[in-house]
Amino acid sequence: MNRLFAVATNTFRETVRERVLYNLVFFALVMTVSGFLLGHLSLRQDEKIIKDLGLAAIDFFGTLIAIFIGVGLVSKEIERRSLYPLLAKPLSRSEFFLGKYAGLCATLFVNTGVMTVGVLATLFFAGHRADLHLLRAIYPLYLGFLLVVALALLLSTLTSSVLAAVGTVGMVLAGRYSDVIRNMRQVAPGAPQLLVDVLYYLLPNFANFDFKDKVAYGDPVSAGTLGFATLYAGLYVAILLTLGLVSFCRRDLQ
Amino acid sequence: MTEPPSSSAVSFSRLTKSYRVGHVFQQRKTVLHELTFEVERGEIFGYLGPNGSGKTTTLKVLTGLLFADAGEIRVLGLPLADRSWRQRTGYLPEHPYLYDYLTAREYLDYVGQLFGMPRKPRADRAAELLRLVGLERSADVALRRFSKGMVQRAGLAQALMNDPELVILDEPMSGLDPLGRRLVRDVILALKKEGKTILFSTHILSDAETLCDRIAILRAGRLVDVGRLADILRLDVAHMEVLVSGVDPARLAIEGVHGSHPLGERHRLHVDERALGSVIRGLEQAGGRILSVQPVRQSLEDFFFQEMGGRDAVGSGEGGD
Repeated sequence: MNRLFAVATNTFRETVRERVLYNLVFFALVMTVSGFLLGHLSLRQDEKIIKDLGLAAIDFFGTLIAIFIGVGLVSKEIERRSLYPLLAKPLSRSEFFLGKYAGLCATLFVNTGVMTVGVLATLFFAGHRADLHLLRAIYPLYLGFLLVVALALLLSTLTSSVLAAVGTVGMVLAGRYSDVIRNMRQVAPGAPQLLVDVLYYLLPNFANFDFKDKVAYGDPVSAGTLGFATLYAGLYVAILLTLGLVSFCRRDLQ
Repeated sequence: MTEPPSSSAVSFSRLTKSYRVGHVFQQRKTVLHELTFEVERGEIFGYLGPNGSGKTTTLKVLTGLLFADAGEIRVLGLPLADRSWRQRTGYLPEHPYLYDYLTAREYLDYVGQLFGMPRKPRADRAAELLRLVGLERSADVALRRFSKGMVQRAGLAQALMNDPELVILDEPMSGLDPLGRRLVRDVILALKKEGKTILFSTHILSDAETLCDRIAILRAGRLVDVGRLADILRLDVAHMEVLVSGVDPARLAIEGVHGSHPLGERHRLHVDERALGSVIRGLEQAGGRILSVQPVRQSLEDFFFQEMGGRDAVGSGEGGD
């Protein structure tokens, strides 16, 4: 457990020293603050615009970080062979793999926290109250990031980092439009029902983590809904990490 | 668990490893063929072979980076699958890549954490090792600013962080300047003096010749020979080398002279040891001046070339790397 913690801590340090992270956080904060300026253009809508843009920025940039840093977490170590001296030590492959995952999740937690503070501060400076109801949208978004990182990690153990990035982006996009897949036969009647069903149930359904509109409009998001999202993310992440572990632990590191 | 008594630090028994090659029609190519040999405790063991002979593959299987197809490996008396021996070993991979976002001190601290070392001993050991490998002044510089030789030194330091009983070094002299190579040689000798076992791979024969108690020679994934240098090499005199000047080349055809190489006005002669006296007399009668007489023993390089079947076989790359 101590070794897993050491890998997680080091991964956190690695990711916070990545230049790309600062670029993404910077753009996310710019996007959030721009909501403040846009809000002035629309009468009595500024609060909603700040919330909309802030939540969208957290979602978009959080997902980008999860994909592009997540894909490189293990594959970069294999390509650069930096894990060779480490895996010859008492550190097991599963400790290494899970430690890398935990480290990036910690980084995403801090990032999401920074961006959340950015949205709340923008609301405050625009003369509105810092609405903690936003957390009911941000928490499930964070669960979605955890799922994306697990997906990126799994794919990066199966193929090159470039293909893994393409695959993760494709699956995340498909998972965000899973309703389109479910109703595919309405626009493409020839599509086999079995294929439609398999795709719909196999791909992660990111609609389970998307309450941005509800929260921006001030609609309630029940604890039960959040509980389901947590359970769904937990189960999905557990399956993805198990598959990733099996693949990584059996792999010859040439 | 009690450790079974064993005099060997590492033992390989019929170790076999193959890779899948090709893209569409994949075939298996065997790169290690039933390797069987032992590394004794407390010795410096050289693992030699041309590039592509399978040295690195063997060490990667030993450290768990690759999985063997067949065979058995025991480390410090324990089976390979028993992870506890890893607490007592150190490994430096070939061309190590260390995290470039860390400083050398941070990297060693991280490695210490993986061994479960407490903070203070970790910091002390890191400082001691950075001094040992001559990096104390660069301890807080990011590794991305290190030269290749400095990375190699930092890599050596990380391999010693846990004060290991067995040190496995894959091409430890690679990328080092003469000073760096001297430093690594001194470190290896100091480790032996402390009773540690050192298993290192190299294709630099002079390093093996000056350091090793025993060696194993690998060619295309097969073990050619293993044993003490004195047993493998013929340490008796192979022939005498006579350096002579002032002799007409036509008068060098004396019985007992097996060959001559002109060196300007001088000639270097290969002379049968038993005919040395008569050859020297013959040269003096021909007006020659004897400049030096030296016994010549078989070098590891001679042996290596002989066993590899000459230059053509060296680097044939039949094995893995």
